Order: sequence, then structure tokens, then C-alpha cells
Amino acid sequence: MSRVPPRAIFGLTLLVGLGVLSLVAGRLFPEALASTCPLGMDPTRPDRTVCELAFGGLWVSLAVGLAAGALSTFIGLAVAAVARLSGGAVEQALLRGVDAVFALPDVLVVMVLQLAGQSLADAGQGGGFGPFGLMVASLALVGWAGPARMFRNRLFTLESQEYVAAARALGGGGAHLLRVHLWPALRPFALAVFLSRLPAAILTESTVSFFGIARMEPMSLGRYLGTSYAALIYEGGGRVVLPAWALLVLLVLGASLASQALSATPRRAA
Amino acid sequence: MRVVTQRLARQLILVPVVAVASYFLMAALPLTTETDAKRQVSKELAASYQRDLGIGEPLGFLRPWEKLFRGERLGTSAQGITGDELLLKLSGSVGVGLMALPLALAWALGFALLRTTWRRGRWAALGDAVPAVAFGTPVFIPALLLAPAVVERGHMLPELCAALVTSVWPGIFLGTLVGDSLETELSRDYVRTALGKGLSRGTVLRRHVLPNVWPALLDAVGPVATSLLAGSFAAERVFGLPYFGQLYVLAVLNKQVAVVVVATTTFASLLVLVSLAVEALRYALDPRSREATA
Repeated sequence: MSRVPPRAIFGLTLLVGLGVLSLVAGRLFPEALASTCPLGMDPTRPDRTVCELAFGGLWVSLAVGLAAGALSTFIGLAVAAVARLSGGAVEQALLRGVDAVFALPDVLVVMVLQLAGQSLADAGQGGGFGPFGLMVASLALVGWAGPARMFRNRLFTLESQEYVAAARALGGGGAHLLRVHLWPALRPFALAVFLSRLPAAILTESTVSFFGIARMEPMSLGRYLGTSYAALIYEGGGRVVLPAWALLVLLVLGASLASQALSATPRRAA
Repeated sequence: MRVVTQRLARQLILVPVVAVASYFLMAALPLTTETDAKRQVSKELAASYQRDLGIGEPLGFLRPWEKLFRGERLGTSAQGITGDELLLKLSGSVGVGLMALPLALAWALGFALLRTTWRRGRWAALGDAVPAVAFGTPVFIPALLLAPAVVERGHMLPELCAALVTSVWPGIFLGTLVGDSLETELSRDYVRTALGKGLSRGTVLRRHVLPNVWPALLDAVGPVATSLLAGSFAAERVFGLPYFGQLYVLAVLNKQVAVVVVATTTFASLLVLVSLAVEALRYALDPRSREATA
């Protein structure tokens, strides 16, 4: 029996709450939001209220974060599994590749990947990737190295447990050990890693969109903040930036709390 | 020593890997001129890209570097940049990063002390909330909020403000890490033993605890250096500082592919230099690193 810590429950509730709020306010009933928004119209888009843009952006940012976080976690898990199953020189080579990717600054590489993807799309070779798909793929391509390193280290630790040694002594192969013994112990950690990737992906997307390099449409929180720059400078309108900032902070708070609590909790065997 | 040499070699090999990878990624960009779509490049520009990158030539991947070392402009127009200008702009960004470093250390120390104090009282939740607010705030948001007050003024104020907003996230990150590490070490038996033998708290901290906290701090230097430099890009953009971040973003937006190749590699080289310095420092400060296996 395992107990989910209160901090994780709080973080997950906050995340789910923000997701539901963005769905309801940003997608299902935007008219109700538009008519009741106390923050007024956006100076750079006079046809939309600040609330519509903030909650619409929250929906897009959340979708990008969830998709990119899931994809990078999956790639990291696959690389770590292949590394541990292969062992020896293959594992060392994969780890050096992980180090190389990990050492690169996310924002710069995502910018270059966006440039490459947009050029492919302009030339009709985009493979059906729209701005959303391109951003998710770019974030996953730079974001898998951290999870791969964490999963590899966790697998290495789990393999030294007595029950795994016993299973191996009884003739269990690598794939069997991974599927039957290691994966169940790894699942809560995988959820924690996924939740830790969520804010990283959202913040990287926000920064790249803010620079005006990503063509995210409908606008994410980052692109919305990027387009609000002129309004803020010339109208002194903190009201334009503060709601989107608050939503971004709440997203990261939820994901960080849940991730930290889940990765720190020792799980007792059933 | 062999282990350290291996680590150094691993770091150094990153530079040519980044150079070659970024070159071939740029060279693979389709620069067709078959349609008249708005974003397509003209025939002349496409030919210029091909020349800049040496596409289709033997050892063509060395072309951007040849131009750089000959002192020629990289890029396809008068907006291209020479190696000297690149270094000047990079030094501007590094300067902002260096101003941000002591600020980050001050944030770290302050937050680590506050967190230790909060942990014992009813403000404990703030120990989690403050990092979440700091991590959830991209550099450009405080920069945007400060910008109206500082962009029109000179006297290094934009640089200082850029350093200030860049330092917050790395500072809180370092503070969390050092605070946790400090707390773990302070609860260990050797601290109780040293105090029990009559040593003062300051002596125990300086002689016994801090040497065990250094490795955690050094582990964080890599990500912190990356975030200080990459964070300064966003701040430079908002405060209108004409340094490396501005150059990089404009090069990407204007598809100055040779500039992107050289700038990416230069940035990676800078990060490798930071890693090498950290490895050397670790070797000097942490005896365990000299015994560690690869």
C-alpha cells in the first residue's frame, strides 16, 4: 500500500484545475469570459479581452507542455532502457550522446530547430507538422537527455536490489527483468520525471515564442506576452502581463510540487 | 588524473560535434525558389546561402570557419558579422553574465538562510513557493516589467537590470541546492562529534561541513552558467542591449545561417570552457573526484 503525499495531491489538483479552467474558460465558453473580464481589452488586439488571450494561451501552453513532456519522457525512457539492456560500449556511447545533448542550451537549440522546421514547412516538406507539432518535436528533441540520464541512474540503482539479483539468478533475461520487475518500480518515478519536464517545456516554448521565432497560433502564453511588449512599454499596462505571468507561475508551482513530492517518496511494496 | 583527462576529453569533443551538427542541420535547410510564396528566398539569396555554407564543395563544411578566420563578414548581406564583432558581442553578454553571477550568489545565500529559518516556523510553505515563483517566471517577464523605467536611461542601468533579472532563477536554484545540502551535512554524526569535542559552530562549518557542500555547488555551476548566459539573451532583447543574444535571435530570424552555425558553436565552446574550469576546480577542492571511476 502506498500513500500519495499531500504536496503531490495539491500539485496535481492545481494542474488539473488549471487544465479544466483553461478548457472551460478558454475553449468552451470564451464569450462568457469576454463579457465578464475585469481587465479590459488587449491594446494590441482590440477585438479580444486580456482574459480571453490569457486563458486561451494557457490552454495552448498546457497542451504543448503535456505533449512535449510526455514525448521527451518516453524517448528518455527508451534510451535508458536500451543503454541498460545493451551495457558495455553501447551504454557508454549512448551516455556520451546524452551528455552532448544535455550540455546544449535548450533555448538556442529550439530556435535552430524551429528555423529548420519552418524552412521545411515553407518548402512543402514539413511532413504535416504545423506550428504545434513542430514546437512539440523541437522541445522533445532537446528535452530527452535529462530524463534519459535520470532513468538510467534509477535503473542502475534498482538493478542492485536483491529481488532483481534473485530474478536474474533464476534465469530472468534483461527484457523480462525490465518488464516484470523494474518497470513497476519505475512507474512513480516516470510520472515525477514527466511532471518535471512539463514546466521546462512550457518555459522554453514561452521564451522562444516571446522572441518571435515560433509561429504558435492560436497564441500560447509566451507568444501573448511577446506581443504585449509594445503595449507594456507605451501604455504602462501591467494588467496585460500579470494575468499570463500568474497562470505560468501556477502551472510551474503545480508541476514542481507534484514532481518533487513523487520523486522523493519511498514506495512501499504492496 | 586519467579520469580527469577522460572527462576533459569528453567535454572538448562536444565542440566539433556541435560545429558539425549545426553545419549539416543548416546545410539541410531547403532553400528552394520554385514558388513565389512570401517566405521563400530569392534565387540570389539561395545562391548566397550555398556559397556561405560551401554546400556541394569538398570540405565545404569548413567554409564558415575559413571566412571567420580570414576576417570576412559571415552572412549574406552587409548585416553579416566578422569574428571580431562576434567576440565583442559575446564579451558583452559574458559581461552581463558576470555581473549576474555575484547577484545570483547573493540571492542563493539569502534564500538558503531564509529557507533554513522558515523551515522551523509557520512560513515553511514559503520554502517551496518561492522557488516555484522563481522557476515559473521566465526572464523576460521581470525584464518587461522593468523595461519602461530603464530603457531610456543610460549609465549601465540596462546592463545592471539585465543582470538583476537574469540572476534571480539561478540564485534561487543555487540557494535551494546549497540549503538542502547544508542541512543534510549539518545533521550528520561527524558534525555532532566535532561540536561535542568543543569546536565552535563556525569552525565546524568552515573546516568540516563546507568541504562536503562544495561538490553540490560545483554540480550546479554548469546549469547555472547556461541559464545565466541564455537568460541574458531574453533580457538583452527586452532592454535593447546589442550583444550576443540580440545577434543570435536576429541571425535566426533573418536566416543568417553561417552566423547561426558559428554563434551556436561559439556558445557551446564557452559552456565547455566553463565545464573545464569547474572540472579543474573540482579536482582541486574535492579529493573524491580524484579517486572516482569514470
